[in-house]
Amino acid sequence: MTENEFDVLWQRAEAEGYSQRLAAEYPVWRQKQHRALGIVAALLIVVTVAFSVFTIQQRQFRNYEKVYCNRVGTPDAQWAALAAEMLME
Amino acid sequence: MKRLLIILMLLLPIAAMAQNDLYKRYASRQELTVAQVSGFKLSESQRVDVVLVVADNEASWQKLTKELNIKGDDGVVSWLGDPKNPAQRVKWTGTTVLRVVASHARRTVAFYRVNTEAQYDALLDYQLNNMKQGK
Repeated sequence: MTENEFDVLWQRAEAEGYSQRLAAEYPVWRQKQHRALGIVAALLIVVTVAFSVFTIQQRQFRNYEKVYCNRVGTPDAQWAALAAEMLME
Repeated sequence: MKRLLIILMLLLPIAAMAQNDLYKRYASRQELTVAQVSGFKLSESQRVDVVLVVADNEASWQKLTKELNIKGDDGVVSWLGDPKNPAQRVKWTGTTVLRVVASHARRTVAFYRVNTEAQYDALLDYQLNNMKQGK
């Protein structure tokens, strides 16, 4: 066997070794990826549900949903109070 | 990134739509403080949008009362107004109207947007209940 032939054989063996290793590690990598996606999805669900519950509770306790104002400084609740007071005038 | 920008561009007009025309009409005026209270609760099942316009000084109040054709200079005036032209007095016909309440003492005009008969009834009930409670 010449040195060149040995090199070719060595490279082939090395390549095959790597591909075998990759083939062995691929399912583990996929499993880890799936697990990470599952955790992200679960977190998103928890955050969405918590936000919805919070919003519904806010809606029940407050007498308004949202306030827009062209000036900053006055608290939103004060505007809702003024809306109520104007009806009582 | 490009997709995110496109989504944001699509969402911006939706966010702007949350502010009603009446709010936009007065909000640009320097001499007025304007607030829109969305979903103001009248009863457990009825909510309305309210636009409050507060004149910062006597001159701007006079201008506002003239625009809205408010007579007199004391007490509280209220009427049903056309949604596109609140100065125009209308009768309740079951379609969208504005319940307008103007207070000279507060230099404030409140516009309650009433879309349905249920909201109209709830608004009257709200006023009656508060009067009964002596508030």
